[in-house]
Amino acid sequence: MEHDIEAERSLLARLHRGFMPIEDFANLAAAAAIMLLMVLGVLQIVLRTVFNTPINGYIDLVELSMASMAFLGAAYTQRLGSHIRMELLVSRLSGRALWLLEAIGAAIAMFVIAVLIYHSYGHFLRAYTLGDTTIDAEYVTWPSKLLVPIAFSIWWIRLALQCIGALRLVLFPDATPIAVVVAKDVAEQAQDEIHEVMGDDAEPARPEGKS
Amino acid sequence: MIIGIGMSDPFLVGVITLCMLLGLIFIGVRVVFAAAVVGLLGLVELRGWGPAAGIVGTIPHSKSSTYALSVLPMFIFIGFLAFHAGMTQQLFDAARKWLGWLPGGLAVATVFATAGFAAVSGASTATAAVFSRVAIPEMLKHGYDRRMAAGVVASAGTLATLIPPSAILVIYAIIVEQSVGKLLLAGFLPGIFSAVVYAGIIVVWAMMKPGSAPSVKGFTWGERVRTLPGISPIILVVVIIMSAIYGGWATPTEAGALGAFVVFVLALVRGTPLKSIKNSLMESAKLTVMIFSLIWGVLIFVRFLGFSGIPGAFTEWIVGLDMQPMTIMICILLGYAVLGMFMDAIGMLLLTLPVVYPAVIALGFDPIWFGIIAVKMAEICLITPPIGLNCFVVNGVRPDIPLGQVFRGVALFFIADVITIAALLMFPEIVTWLPNFDFEAWWSGLWAAAL
Repeated sequence: MEHDIEAERSLLARLHRGFMPIEDFANLAAAAAIMLLMVLGVLQIVLRTVFNTPINGYIDLVELSMASMAFLGAAYTQRLGSHIRMELLVSRLSGRALWLLEAIGAAIAMFVIAVLIYHSYGHFLRAYTLGDTTIDAEYVTWPSKLLVPIAFSIWWIRLALQCIGALRLVLFPDATPIAVVVAKDVAEQAQDEIHEVMGDDAEPARPEGKS
Repeated sequence: MIIGIGMSDPFLVGVITLCMLLGLIFIGVRVVFAAAVVGLLGLVELRGWGPAAGIVGTIPHSKSSTYALSVLPMFIFIGFLAFHAGMTQQLFDAARKWLGWLPGGLAVATVFATAGFAAVSGASTATAAVFSRVAIPEMLKHGYDRRMAAGVVASAGTLATLIPPSAILVIYAIIVEQSVGKLLLAGFLPGIFSAVVYAGIIVVWAMMKPGSAPSVKGFTWGERVRTLPGISPIILVVVIIMSAIYGGWATPTEAGALGAFVVFVLALVRGTPLKSIKNSLMESAKLTVMIFSLIWGVLIFVRFLGFSGIPGAFTEWIVGLDMQPMTIMICILLGYAVLGMFMDAIGMLLLTLPVVYPAVIALGFDPIWFGIIAVKMAEICLITPPIGLNCFVVNGVRPDIPLGQVFRGVALFFIADVITIAALLMFPEIVTWLPNFDFEAWWSGLWAAAL
């Protein structure tokens, strides 16, 4: 369709696609941190029980690494619409009303994340200037604290794209949706769950009553 | 100050913000943002912009970087890896050979295979998806009633959240400041108990309707024993996690890491493509960030809630009610059943616990017991209309079984769940016995007796 091609080329669509690799990379970094946490845990058990030499400051290390797992994937998760919400009302709406609510939701999120970016940066800056370290092994804490404003900034940009995407659909409800999460009903959520565990080998089955 | 009430009436500010929170959640604002923004605005009203924003800015990092929470990514990773390592077929095969002779044997086997898989996975819907593929074809081949075949898979999936490792129980433990180890242990017996009640109700049903759930006989003991090596990795993971919690030779995080490592090695040995392993890591990262966002978002709100005095007032009101504590408990549980229809179990617990939990404790209920029963309640909502996500999952994998039939098949197991809940209410020892069991005293007593 001519309409679709035009939409594909729009600035918003290009920003949406161009931003995806950054989010994917951040989530991949979080995934790598999970892998490292596993390796570190096994190492700690082996070193402590077999060689009686536990890793110095293991708990500090784990606590500092938590920030990467807790925050880096936030924008990726946002793009896929996987942060929990109540679907009761939004799953029943369509058209302008739906997109207006989505835009309001994204705007509220942008406000609170903006406040958090500013003040978590302050939290980092204090740790950096004071040279704050962990109590036990005295690792510096600022790199871990810096991850919060970084991850939240990526998240904020994704939220902004979603907000603009939703506002665009409030103005032109018939346009092709770009950079928004299309609300799903239960049957579609079920399909997502199936794909999550079975990957691409899940048969493309459509639930009853859906076309 | 925003509306000008400030510290003169923190309770009123609390009530207003609580209504705002409910409104935002109702219009579909994601829970993390709704909780964080309402908590922020409430704190601003009570403390002024500067101090409030300053407090809120530190919460995400300080609340996320705690050692106790680090067990979550490990448990989540074990779960996603286990699906890709493909242990479900062996589990079902083993359960079929050991339990197939019972009336409704294949359905009973499905229940216990799912319970076994729950020992490496904490995800209900995902478990239902996988077993829809493994168990339903086998049951249909043996002439099982389609409703039974679909119902048992959808229902047995819910066992995953009680049997350790369960992410939701870890979250509960951290929010209400109870021992993670105790909660994980506490889920074990109720999980097994639920499975036994499911199995019992299948056997009774199969005896009443012979032919619609026939038994499968003729396996030799040799065949049965040969299924054991295939399921040994799962047994190993269970032993690692349970013994670490009981014996204290590793923290839950370390035990989770070792468990994940076992499943990881198994996945590599089985030739799981690296792409699948990367996918399970990406999915784990996604689920981890989702849960952590909820935790810090809700904790921002909780920080404000503490200032407002709402939890204390709610507790006073509940304790002052002229009702039996058990009646109040049943009302709370019914409330959870209704809420669970519209919201994910983790979100529902996180949002309600800061207010509900102090009241429950003031009524004299055991904190560990309440965690288990609240989670069980939330799980029931996965198989009941109007949402019943597990039923949709089964229907999604097997579009040839209409949704109506899945829901009708689940009805039997809904009765089983009501029996389980009633039993947990009447005999709280099912929950509290294992976590309070003094293993060391028992062990040394055993030694003394042996000598």
